[in-house]
Amino acid sequence: MESLFLQQIANGLIIGSIYCLMAVGLTMIFGVMKISNFAHGDFLMLGSYFAIYTTLCLTGWVGWISAMFIAAIGVGIIGFLAERWLFRPMMLRNADIDVLMLSIGLSIFIANTAHVMFGSSPKMLIDPFRSQNINLFFFSTSLIRIFSFFLSVLAIIVLQVFLTRTKTGTAIRATSQNRNASMLMGIDTGLIFGLTFVIGSAFAGLSGVLYGTIVTITPTMGGLPTLKAFAITIMGGMGSIKGAIYGGLILGVAEALGGNYISMDYKNAIGFIIIIVILLFMPEGLFGRKGR
Amino acid sequence: MKSLWLKCGKIITLFVVLFALPSAITDRYFQHIMVLSCIYVILASSWNLLAGYSGLLNLGHAAFFGIGAYSSALLVIHMGLSPWLGIFVGAAISALFGVGLGVPALRLRGPYLAIVTIGFSEIIKLVSMNWVGLTRGSLGLSEIPPLTPIKLSQNLKIEFITEQNAYYVILIFTILTLFVIRKLVKSEFGLTLESMREEEDGAESIGINTSQYKLVIFMISAFIAGFAGGLYAHYVRLLSPETLSLHETFTVLTMVAVGGIGTFVGPVIGAVFLTVLSEALRFFEEAINFDIRMVIYGALLMVTILFMRKGIVGVYNSLFGSTAEERER
Repeated sequence: MESLFLQQIANGLIIGSIYCLMAVGLTMIFGVMKISNFAHGDFLMLGSYFAIYTTLCLTGWVGWISAMFIAAIGVGIIGFLAERWLFRPMMLRNADIDVLMLSIGLSIFIANTAHVMFGSSPKMLIDPFRSQNINLFFFSTSLIRIFSFFLSVLAIIVLQVFLTRTKTGTAIRATSQNRNASMLMGIDTGLIFGLTFVIGSAFAGLSGVLYGTIVTITPTMGGLPTLKAFAITIMGGMGSIKGAIYGGLILGVAEALGGNYISMDYKNAIGFIIIIVILLFMPEGLFGRKGR
Repeated sequence: MKSLWLKCGKIITLFVVLFALPSAITDRYFQHIMVLSCIYVILASSWNLLAGYSGLLNLGHAAFFGIGAYSSALLVIHMGLSPWLGIFVGAAISALFGVGLGVPALRLRGPYLAIVTIGFSEIIKLVSMNWVGLTRGSLGLSEIPPLTPIKLSQNLKIEFITEQNAYYVILIFTILTLFVIRKLVKSEFGLTLESMREEEDGAESIGINTSQYKLVIFMISAFIAGFAGGLYAHYVRLLSPETLSLHETFTVLTMVAVGGIGTFVGPVIGAVFLTVLSEALRFFEEAINFDIRMVIYGALLMVTILFMRKGIVGVYNSLFGSTAEERER
């Protein structure tokens, strides 16, 4: 009984770390650009497909490592194009609802183009550990999940260091705090917007590779991650990276426990119930800034 | 005075054409598309009340549609209610859910509102998939009774099995709904909603109770969407949880955006245009063997928002009409 409980917590934390990775990109884009990108999950889906086709060409660890780089860079490029052609013109318009609808259009477009290009048959990502399991002292899990956990942690630490220790990172944080003031300080905010969107999309692509190891990959798989990433960012407060990390872990654990002890059928509803409750009682989220 | 006559004349001609259409187009498949267009016109117009006039981006609209459809169908199947009554009861149940969603949604804007409404719709969808005892899960409901025939005399009664008769009754309901919506948006209530959309803080500062207005418009919109759902259920006579999916909401969103968001005729044009287009594309898809319908939907939505803010109506107005009054139509 107790070991099952610990097992669920561990599973939840591992899945949660992948959730963190996908929410970090979304929350960063929102924090800096005030854009809610409903196509985020579709970027993730593209990352999964990049990984599938890379691992088809290159086998083993070489294939896997390059898959992660290709997914991140490929989706980053797509993010760059989307920012330049779609979201940049919207920045002048100052209409929330338009940006939302535009990203919904992009989401429909990407998912269905992928459907045409890749076909609708579900695909599996080949695991470099050949689905080996590992028994730790109180729970057992597959090696790939442990790997995903550490990779997510590493990626988020790298991002954090970049944001706090480098000049460009500081410029990104400054832009997210006050757009006009940073422009007056000589920061090229246009460049910062582009860079933020590319980084956010690259994180979506990378999380797509890891997420692809726990679900089957289809062109329409992006819907659920989009919703989960939004649930996480709202939970933690939109624009807060710290919030996205806590939110992701909370959602992962809540889903694992809820799926096991309450109902497997309603597992995907848990995130929404949490955010509805959170928004009712603390509209800024757990770590959000006041006055959105 | 003259323009009033002209306007009346135009509307009467339009009605005559609409009612004569089934006599001209006798193919049952085309008549089916016409019925579907009418249902989507109602649904799109109801979504436009929220998103277009009030600035509340509700992404859970398919849930209202589905709740109306399922409630009506289940009441008719299990309680033996007349479908005519069932449609209205279903709409009322949907309106109750609208109020239920409206309460937590009151304080939320933009992405927060969008995600909470999606959450609502996904929860409803999960319930419809997993409450097998009631909804038969993903098998869906089948053999939903059609609208019961109206008896005119001993031998003469009007059946609603054929597409043609269903078209007439749904067309009448569509016109009535549009009339109500027209009255609503032209009233002080509608103007208040628009003022809230443009400047919520400003509206509050002149003493408008925005929460109350939001709640009421959520209720009205949910009622109309549920009504459309009821009509759909008793016309198509099959329901599955797919009816409540996000995909359905996005279809309606695209219709409204392409037609012209926040205008009265926009959703009507958009719904008819996209229903017909998607059926036309179905033939094209069979020819080239690719599912490009939704690709085109997505592309259309993006192009509309980037380049034509008010959709087809906006383009028409900038080409032909220029006076404020015409722009309003």
